[in-house]
Amino acid sequence: MKITGKRLRPLVGAIALVGAATVVLSGCTTSGATDNETSKTGGNVTIAQVNEVSSFNYNTPQGNLDTNGMVNYLTQPQFFTLDDQYKIVHNSDLGSYKKLSDNPLKVEYTLNDDDKWSDGTAMTADDLLLGWAQASGYYDSATLNDAGEVTKGTQYFSTAAGAPFSTNLPTVSNDNHTITYTYDEPYVDWELVNPIQFPAHIVAKKAGVSTEDLTKAILDTPKGDTAKPASPNKTILAAAKLINTGYDATSLPSDKDLLVSGGPLQVSAWTPKQSMTFVPNKEYKGDHTVKFSKLVMRFIGDANAQVTALQNGEVDAIQPQPSADTVKALKAANSTVIDGSQVAYDHLDLNFGSSVFKDENVRKAFLLTIPREDILKSIVTPINSSAKVLDSQVFLPGQEGYEESVSKNGSSDYDKVDIAQAKKLLNGATPTVKILYNTLNPNRVDSFQAIQASAAKAGIKVTDGGSPKWSELLAGGDYDASIFGWVNPGAGNAALPQLFETNNSGNYNKYNDKTVSDLAVKTQTTLDADQLLTEKEQIDAGTFADAYGLPLFQTPGLFATNSNLKGVKFFGGQTGIVWNIWDWTK
Amino acid sequence: MVSFILRRILVSILVLVAASFIMYVLVANSDNPLRDLQTGNSPNKQALIEARIQQQHLDVNPVLRWGIWLGGVARCVVPIGGSCSLGVNFQNQPITALLPAAMGSTLQLVTLSFLLAIVLGIALGIITALRVYSGFDYTITLFSFFLFSLPSFLMAVLLKTFVALGYNNFLQDPKIPLSTLLIAGVVIGAIIQLVVGGTIRRRLLAFVISGGATVVVLAALSATDWFARPALGPFAVILFSLGIAFAVVALLAGLNNRRAWITAGINVVLAVIAYFTLQGLFNISTLGTILTLAVATLAVGLISGFLVGGYDRGLMMRIGALTAVLSAAVVLLDRFVASWGNYVDAVGGRPLATVGSQTPGLGGDFWISGIDTYTHLLLPTISLLLISFAGYTRYARSGMLEVLDQDYVRTARAKGLPERTVIVRHAFRNMLIPIATLVATDVGALLGGAVITESVFAISGMGNLFITGLTATDVNPVMGYFLVIAITAIAFNFLADLAYAALDPRVRAR
Repeated sequence: MKITGKRLRPLVGAIALVGAATVVLSGCTTSGATDNETSKTGGNVTIAQVNEVSSFNYNTPQGNLDTNGMVNYLTQPQFFTLDDQYKIVHNSDLGSYKKLSDNPLKVEYTLNDDDKWSDGTAMTADDLLLGWAQASGYYDSATLNDAGEVTKGTQYFSTAAGAPFSTNLPTVSNDNHTITYTYDEPYVDWELVNPIQFPAHIVAKKAGVSTEDLTKAILDTPKGDTAKPASPNKTILAAAKLINTGYDATSLPSDKDLLVSGGPLQVSAWTPKQSMTFVPNKEYKGDHTVKFSKLVMRFIGDANAQVTALQNGEVDAIQPQPSADTVKALKAANSTVIDGSQVAYDHLDLNFGSSVFKDENVRKAFLLTIPREDILKSIVTPINSSAKVLDSQVFLPGQEGYEESVSKNGSSDYDKVDIAQAKKLLNGATPTVKILYNTLNPNRVDSFQAIQASAAKAGIKVTDGGSPKWSELLAGGDYDASIFGWVNPGAGNAALPQLFETNNSGNYNKYNDKTVSDLAVKTQTTLDADQLLTEKEQIDAGTFADAYGLPLFQTPGLFATNSNLKGVKFFGGQTGIVWNIWDWTK
Repeated sequence: MVSFILRRILVSILVLVAASFIMYVLVANSDNPLRDLQTGNSPNKQALIEARIQQQHLDVNPVLRWGIWLGGVARCVVPIGGSCSLGVNFQNQPITALLPAAMGSTLQLVTLSFLLAIVLGIALGIITALRVYSGFDYTITLFSFFLFSLPSFLMAVLLKTFVALGYNNFLQDPKIPLSTLLIAGVVIGAIIQLVVGGTIRRRLLAFVISGGATVVVLAALSATDWFARPALGPFAVILFSLGIAFAVVALLAGLNNRRAWITAGINVVLAVIAYFTLQGLFNISTLGTILTLAVATLAVGLISGFLVGGYDRGLMMRIGALTAVLSAAVVLLDRFVASWGNYVDAVGGRPLATVGSQTPGLGGDFWISGIDTYTHLLLPTISLLLISFAGYTRYARSGMLEVLDQDYVRTARAKGLPERTVIVRHAFRNMLIPIATLVATDVGALLGGAVITESVFAISGMGNLFITGLTATDVNPVMGYFLVIAITAIAFNFLADLAYAALDPRVRAR
């Protein structure tokens, strides 16, 4: 029997193919049987965030976004936290800090003996020194031109907050656990200085030196002098480079050193554009350890998508952009809605540089026509039903001093629209007021229209100065009043001189009151809490007496959870929903 | 031909450079890139503004800034004098890292819906053209115009509410009430009788049979708790494979072609044997295993066709390959269905997802993660599909009608060719020529992403990259997006031109 070559060829081919396939197949299989031990959802908490994480360092100009701030809050050591009244609470998990003396202001930070980073390395004063070097801007000797280019000297760490205070070189204790700051002058927000962010041993490793060398460089390098800049210190420069940009990322860094955590949680996975996963930091001890086994942060930009995901059980808690429609959808879905007021607020400022408002009576008359209650009802009440009109330029409801200040700051004069009184003050005049606002923000448009209609009743003609480019026009002063938003930091007083100091670049409405201006500057060096409170109350009352303008309302905020997750509480500050994550149970 | 290609490539590069210039200048001037900082009240505002100016060269005129950007791009093409760079966004994330991720998401999202839209659109278009001006034709026309005009966000929300939430809620107690059963039967029956067409008697019969079958099958599935613990099993696999063989033979060769039956039969038998023998291998499979098996399946199909072949070897190879691949798909489907129960348990009893493209931290084997991808991409795919397939239906219908009016079709019918041959062999191919152009130009738009669908389903791809860049006046991500879209569009238009020359002898490239 003879098989012809022609017939054989396909057969041989087939056999060869089968052989090859078997080889490939055996290489392409998983070893074990089906691994269906997939994570059960119990004990895993999933939350939704609008924006994706872009950096593991929140404190740089480019990384200064809320979501990054949350990651830092969860994974970096904090000497203090804020409670829901924006009050500073010292966090004893990590260590303690206290004021040693008022003049000069000396603050001592002490780490607990058993503090460890998530890789097992002990936390020491080396870490505290690095944190100080970052925050203080001590070594900077750079002169910048308008375009932000360094023309002379060296800029080391670039931080989002700048260098709000200045100190001498701190002293370190012998056991390398304590560091003492000596401020050049009293600093009002000394309690808000967190002297630790990144692990020094990791930063040193990436900078190519030992931790001792880094500490030595920090201790030995002289203070920067812009007039006579010294040549840059290579070690600090390398450390600064890592901290400035090395933590920016688009996916999970392959270098696991960058993920070393000093907070209650630790980043374990990141699926770009989708989610980031955190697991508890095993080395973290204290009151702020979390009570679940995993936190998943999913990035869902669309508010309605967040609501359906919550409804479908894909996430346990959401923090969408608040809107009346979202609240309605959440109510329809039987979710638990947790609403409140954020630290951001809208306000109407009168331009003291405009001729219309030279006369205090005209200012007062105009403010008397502002229908604050109506504006609140149309914009905020649908989202936050318990919202109230904001009655202070300095305090927020909930903060210590708000009630007290409101009772005597004179805001009660403007509780109700009083057209008759306004007409009396105007005395027959019919001024024209041009209001600047953002035409792309529907809330501001609504506010403007409500004010326009109400002012017309008193004979004040309000003209539309709104523009999508309002931000560029703000400093120009070509308007009589402006409606826009500020963010109150919750805790901290740095904003006071910015708003009320005469000729400050943030004082857009050219407010000029010597007493208030001096008080605003004075607050920055006031260390006594009671005195500070008095000064702030005086500023508050002063602005109302001058008819500075009116605060309108706080931006509403919104969280929602499904019934599985317990312990979520409202917080208006920038850490958002995760502010009390250690209280969550599921 | 070579000079034609070279000329086209050269012109394309010039077009790309010119377009990138226009795009860059327009985007850079579209708004104020410092707005978010200027309106903030950070105590360190001025330094933040300066940092961004420094990072993005905002102090340089946009025209010159385009030059800087182009320099970075040029180094991607010619790797001398520095590294490839498409710039960074405001968050200091390099565009070269953002683009691949965005393209991945977008491709994952749109590819399947694009292919399905083409296949289903053309198929429905042909059927409506064959039954032109019938009730079925009018229904499909009405339906496709309805879908065409439906805004995609509305479609997405409807799908989420009724399909995802509805089905997941249904799964909590998977029993279909009698009223729903009857309604489903009537709807299916009505659709089938429209497709079948013909006399009243014939339609009525089709209505009763298909409606009745629907009710009986659904009732049986509901009674056996099939929805909670679905399975196909050997019987269904054999039945489906036979159905596939029948359909392939009927469409491609006609029912009285003995060799076609043999080819299809061999492949069905092989598929059934594979079903019984390969389960052990499936349990330890990875994507690589499945791809290898897919290649093997295709080879087996082609070889069986080649061996049976005879006078019509090409046709038999096509039949063999098609039957093999489709019946293998049934075998795979059966294995996926077998893992469904485990998957549902793993995600807490609510399988259909409304956001994202995967369950974070799910883990699991090939089958579990496959199902996970399916449950996440099902809704966005349907949403994109329903909107885009309407267009293809219309093109295919009118194209087919036009071809069927041609003289050569009349000639083919006159010489006594069966209607199947006339449609499949003579009309169908010529109808495909204009569709090919349409597909080529759609690929560019496809990569552009689906801004709204991406946002509603939280799968951020190219559309999201573009829109977030544009709203912040962050030029670099927008330009990265532009580069990808422009290159794809130019390349595919070029390919379409070449394809024309290849498909149609009347067109000559010079």
